[in-house]
Amino acid sequence: MMPEKNPKTYWKSLSQPCGAAPSPPVAGDEFPESHEPARQEVRRRDFLAAAGFALGGVALGGCRRTPVEKAIPYLVQPEAIVPGRAVHYASTCGACSAGCGLLVKNRDGRAIKLEGNDLHPVSRGGVCAVGQASILGLYDNRRLRHPLRGGEPATWDEVDADISPLLDAIRTGGGSVRFLSGPITSPTKRRVIQTFLGRFDDGKHVSYETLSTAAIHQAHERTHGRRALPRYLFEEADVIVGFDADFLGTWIAPVAFTAGWSDRRKVEQAADDFSYHAQFEGRVSVTGTKADRRIRIAPSELGAVVNHLASTLAARAGVSFDSGQQTPLPIDEHVLEEVSAHLWRSRGKSLVVCGSQDVDVQVLCNFINETLGNYGRTLDISQPAATGGDGDGAVQSLMQELASGRVDALFLDNFNPVYDLPNGAAFATAMGKVGLIVSFADRLTETSEQARYVCPDHHYLESWGDVSLGNAVVGFRQPVMRPLFDTRSCLESLTRWSGTTTTAQDLVRQTWGDRVSWDRAIHDGFASVSEEPARATTFRADAVSAVPTPDELSADAFALVLYPKVAMLDGRVASNPWLHEMPDPVTKVVWDNYASLSPAAAQRLGVTDGDLVSVRHSPEGGTATSIELPALVQPGQHDRVVAIALGYGHAQSARFADVGPEWLEKKPTLGPNGLVGMRAAGLLTYQKGTLQLSGASVTVSPTGGKHELASTQDYHNIEVPAALVIPGMDRRRPMIRETTLASYKRDGSLPVLGHGTHHEDLGDLWPDDHKYEGHHWGMVVDLAACTGCSACVVSCQIENNIPVVGRDEVRRKRIMHWLRVDRYYSETDGEVDISHQPVMCQHCDHAPCETVCPVLATVHGEEGLNQQAYNRCVGTRYCANNCPYKTRRFNWFEYAREDKLANMALNPDITVRTRGVMEKCSFCVQRIEEARIAAKRLGRPIADGDVRPACQQSCPAGAIVFGDMNDPKSAVSKLIRSGRHYRMLEETNVKPSVGYLGLVRNRKEDEDHQHHG
Amino acid sequence: MASAVAISEGPLILGNKTPGIVTTDICSSLERTPAPSWWIAIAFSGSMLLLGLVAVAYQIATGIGTWGLNNTVGWAFDITNFVFWVGIGHAGTLISAVLFLFRQKWRTSVNRAAEAMTIFAVICAGLFPLIHMGRPWLAHWMAPYPNTRGSLWINFRSPLVWDFFAISTYFTISFVFWYVGLIPDMATLRDRLKAGWRKRVAGFFSLGWNGSFRTWLHYETVYLLLAGLATPLVLSVHTIVSWDFATSVIPGWHTTILPPYFVAGAIFSGMSMVLSLMLIARKTMRLEDYITTRHVGAMCKILIATGGMVAIAYLTEFVTALYSNNQYEQFAFMNRAMGPLCWSYWIMVGCNVLSPQLLWFKAVRSNMAVVFVVTIFINIGMWFERFVIIVTSLHRDYLPSNWTGYAPTWIEIATLVGSFGLFLTLFLLFCRFVPVIAMAEVKGVLSHGKKPH
Repeated sequence: MMPEKNPKTYWKSLSQPCGAAPSPPVAGDEFPESHEPARQEVRRRDFLAAAGFALGGVALGGCRRTPVEKAIPYLVQPEAIVPGRAVHYASTCGACSAGCGLLVKNRDGRAIKLEGNDLHPVSRGGVCAVGQASILGLYDNRRLRHPLRGGEPATWDEVDADISPLLDAIRTGGGSVRFLSGPITSPTKRRVIQTFLGRFDDGKHVSYETLSTAAIHQAHERTHGRRALPRYLFEEADVIVGFDADFLGTWIAPVAFTAGWSDRRKVEQAADDFSYHAQFEGRVSVTGTKADRRIRIAPSELGAVVNHLASTLAARAGVSFDSGQQTPLPIDEHVLEEVSAHLWRSRGKSLVVCGSQDVDVQVLCNFINETLGNYGRTLDISQPAATGGDGDGAVQSLMQELASGRVDALFLDNFNPVYDLPNGAAFATAMGKVGLIVSFADRLTETSEQARYVCPDHHYLESWGDVSLGNAVVGFRQPVMRPLFDTRSCLESLTRWSGTTTTAQDLVRQTWGDRVSWDRAIHDGFASVSEEPARATTFRADAVSAVPTPDELSADAFALVLYPKVAMLDGRVASNPWLHEMPDPVTKVVWDNYASLSPAAAQRLGVTDGDLVSVRHSPEGGTATSIELPALVQPGQHDRVVAIALGYGHAQSARFADVGPEWLEKKPTLGPNGLVGMRAAGLLTYQKGTLQLSGASVTVSPTGGKHELASTQDYHNIEVPAALVIPGMDRRRPMIRETTLASYKRDGSLPVLGHGTHHEDLGDLWPDDHKYEGHHWGMVVDLAACTGCSACVVSCQIENNIPVVGRDEVRRKRIMHWLRVDRYYSETDGEVDISHQPVMCQHCDHAPCETVCPVLATVHGEEGLNQQAYNRCVGTRYCANNCPYKTRRFNWFEYAREDKLANMALNPDITVRTRGVMEKCSFCVQRIEEARIAAKRLGRPIADGDVRPACQQSCPAGAIVFGDMNDPKSAVSKLIRSGRHYRMLEETNVKPSVGYLGLVRNRKEDEDHQHHG
Repeated sequence: MASAVAISEGPLILGNKTPGIVTTDICSSLERTPAPSWWIAIAFSGSMLLLGLVAVAYQIATGIGTWGLNNTVGWAFDITNFVFWVGIGHAGTLISAVLFLFRQKWRTSVNRAAEAMTIFAVICAGLFPLIHMGRPWLAHWMAPYPNTRGSLWINFRSPLVWDFFAISTYFTISFVFWYVGLIPDMATLRDRLKAGWRKRVAGFFSLGWNGSFRTWLHYETVYLLLAGLATPLVLSVHTIVSWDFATSVIPGWHTTILPPYFVAGAIFSGMSMVLSLMLIARKTMRLEDYITTRHVGAMCKILIATGGMVAIAYLTEFVTALYSNNQYEQFAFMNRAMGPLCWSYWIMVGCNVLSPQLLWFKAVRSNMAVVFVVTIFINIGMWFERFVIIVTSLHRDYLPSNWTGYAPTWIEIATLVGSFGLFLTLFLLFCRFVPVIAMAEVKGVLSHGKKPH
């Protein structure tokens, strides 16, 4: 070692590395990257790789279809709300005054579906289309969200602070206050209104309804000394005779009446109790289509027919009846003889109902019912429902009062007289004379627009309430969800202005006090009020006299029949798209009203479907009114009648301007007036103090214009055109099979059609493919009970999130309803028979749709369901082409609309389908699964009746039965064993799971309308 | 019938041409700048194509609802066009493969163009199943590729899947067959062209063809094998297309006669389309010496034969329906002939059954203008045949409540026009860039240097 050479190395600083010694060489430089951890420059390849990775990542991230949504759990879980589980609350329907019982299905705090309450003594589980659809009113974005003062938003405090002093001033000044409403069936509301009006010297409540039953009230006042509407018990009637009363469609309480009527029309349960039903009418009503004998009469002939029937029955009963100057009978006397014989044979168990607004005719009908001893048995006025019955004239005298400027304050219920009244425009002018107008309307209408204060009432599903149902039964209503908007119950508004602050709940409770068990009543949705005493009545024979003969129609005039359409009623639901798109049960037309003419009348006028006609009413000494409407040829209608539906041409329907998909060849849903249909209320007339819907003499003349009606069915007959059939072959298609009661009782089976409708079971080529070892779901539809009312159609639409497509799409035959009701005409000796047939996916065991789908988007379930996987569907439409029943529905456009409020009514269990995919009836598979989960939780198998698809649930007639075909004891299996069970197109061996029970009419065998082919 | 043609009627190619003249005749039109008439034609066809593209883009963006279809009539113009174009393709395969195997020498003048037409027609046809889907962006789900969707694959029971295989096979074989036949001519082009990009392209596609004996031997073998492979396709493709209908339950579709009926119809329509196009090409490209009245006459005779088969099929359907004692079946055919859409049926009968009867007369067969008009009628008639089968069967089927009508929208009409635009554009481009007549094959049937019989 060299001494001068210091082996130590002294560090100059810490930055000077001690690493003089090189790191040992690495053999082969195995991982060169590891030695260059901090290379500054980026190599091209690395850059490209990183860029590629980043770009790919971003691109993949961008492929997400759905936006990020925040799901925040409840901080404090509310009691009874389990996310994803439905809760049902009992309530009472508020869509019309019938008061059907509801079970409101709530999911996650919002109401999504209205179901019938099976326990309800009146409606017995059914809900009509209008009732079903009323849930959309809750989520209507046209609803007022707060009170209005002079058209500007205001708070309740502001409104109260304004109105209370004004009312005080009126009270102290002895001014007059009027409350105008529709018929009030709620005892609490009636009480609150009376209390409110009672504080004024001149306070008066006036009620009014277009679909008036005032004549029935008045007739009972004459004959029984009691202004009341009887309860009709169709289930008790062996013989039913209807005079212009569409009791299965729109008259008074059609759901309850259908339930009663159908009890006696189910052959399996009631072969010996099968009722006989005759219907006299001018137009073709739903009820008429179901009658065993339907007799066409003009409105002017109604009085004469009732006169003759009354005198015939009086003669049989030995009761004196002064038939007055008897006019000749306008119909075949054998028919009247048949009807009167049936009635007489079933006296005490028969029922004559009449929809006429002529008090004299109603009095005669009361006489007939009395003569037959029906009072107290098939109809009852000892415990009637508390309805209005102010008489139709009251509103007209109110109008004179308003016009004279004597009324200081006018309160308007959620009700639209400017539209409803024939002289609505005059009413609007008269309203201008009133100092203070307060409306409880939930939206701006022709009427509420004129109110200084609009104090929006809750939707009925947000309200407390009660409904008097007669027979000492009261329906109760509870709020099923928190009010969506800053609305206030009309009851609370009125009490507040009376100086107290009772809540609506307490008001209802106060009304009933101890007379009901409150918790029970709210739970059930109804209660019996035992204390209310029945009142005996006696019949006053002296009130009865023959009906004076009305004036003859002049030779070229028509008798006008205005009628409420099944889905549209008097127009109160004109803002509801579901109801506009529900095909009329008889005409199958949607989104329009029209002038129905019989084929002979149409021929006489030289018009056909869609030709515009002008209907003109010129009363003596009055001003003429006319409306222009498209004609519609209606087989089965009386030749002298022109029938027009009310409820159209409503200002609320202007909102449908943009309904349906936008594209190049789109045609508007609205008519040239910017509304759906034409307002026919202007043609209503008053006669003898009652509002007349029918009978006015009008002239009908073609205008030369054209308006294409949108109908869901183009071809209407069960027989194919004669020109297209090889002579000697069968023209009739065996879709509908019918028989008469007598021959069915004799044969126990349906008559054989054409070349035979029985087809031997050819068996399965692959029996092991689908063994259906568990359940095998099936459905049976009873054509004898089905009235075609289409409650099922709307129920299905709501349950399954089926979109509304608009008039043009329906015109193009692209309606989306999964369930349709086919309607066929058949004819024997000029008398038209009409049959209804609900058709949904038939869930074939050998489904032709399943084999042809190239991507397996429609497959067969283990329980027999034909399943459609929307997100697998590519939209070849092959399945729809190959469906013999054509029950598949294609999303031709993106039909779903973003309406955040209306979309709250969507069923969260069901996908909203996008464009380009096929959809169809699923047998409400979500309900099957719900029942399966519930059964599993209880540790038992699914019981018969656990699963009820939406259509079955809402059917007022109980015509649809669903269940397990593997269970021989299930209701559906029992019906399949019935002698009138058949399956459509059995001969194609597609093996549908849906069957039908043949139509049975209670006729003599020689009237059997089976003589076809 | 066709075999009788070649034996007796003198030379196939007129003008006593030498192989050199053939090469010059056919190549020169590719080497010239295009004539004004070509520019006008392609501007016209291009506009049609553009119209179709706009229509399809609008339809895909908006929805199938832009077509006139409805819940009852789920297919109309779309599948009509599909079947029509597939049918058009068939003549190409028949001429190139079947007639090759039967040693029909007259085919050499028309086989190149006919095969090209096959390929273009199949392209047009293939577009329709794609765009007729509600969600065409998911069309790849029709293909049986490995994926991660578990048991969810394609449905081998569906005739649409069979279609997918049939059409893709058909396109592949036709294309390969056409291309193989093109190789010697590509080499000829390569050798004639001056250095430049066109020469390089021709050189690439001629795959190093050197014209040696070995090359020719291999070429002939491959060609023969491919002809053998392509022959069954003439029968199978349209048979499978007919199963789309025959396997269904819809009256009017559910008939066993459909496969032979469809094949005969396909050859009928294809042959008439070949004739329409060749008559135009003959005139505009001055190929009268190559496509002679003898060729036209031979094809006319095929039209008479296949047209007769089609007529028998129309009749048989009626008789079968009558005999079936099945009310739906009988009604379907009565409704075709006398129902609301009967005009389409009678257009079909007039064009397909009556108009070919003119071709029985030799005077007609040798009058090119009249033959051209007849072929156009047949093309129209065969389009309507498919329309009749599809729409008249669907619009009134089992349940009278479902009966509807059908009317096309402008979008559908524009799409049909667009498919013709695509076809004609491709054909015009083909005429500009590829020898329209198979030179190598034509040279084999020249009468030059052979003693007249």
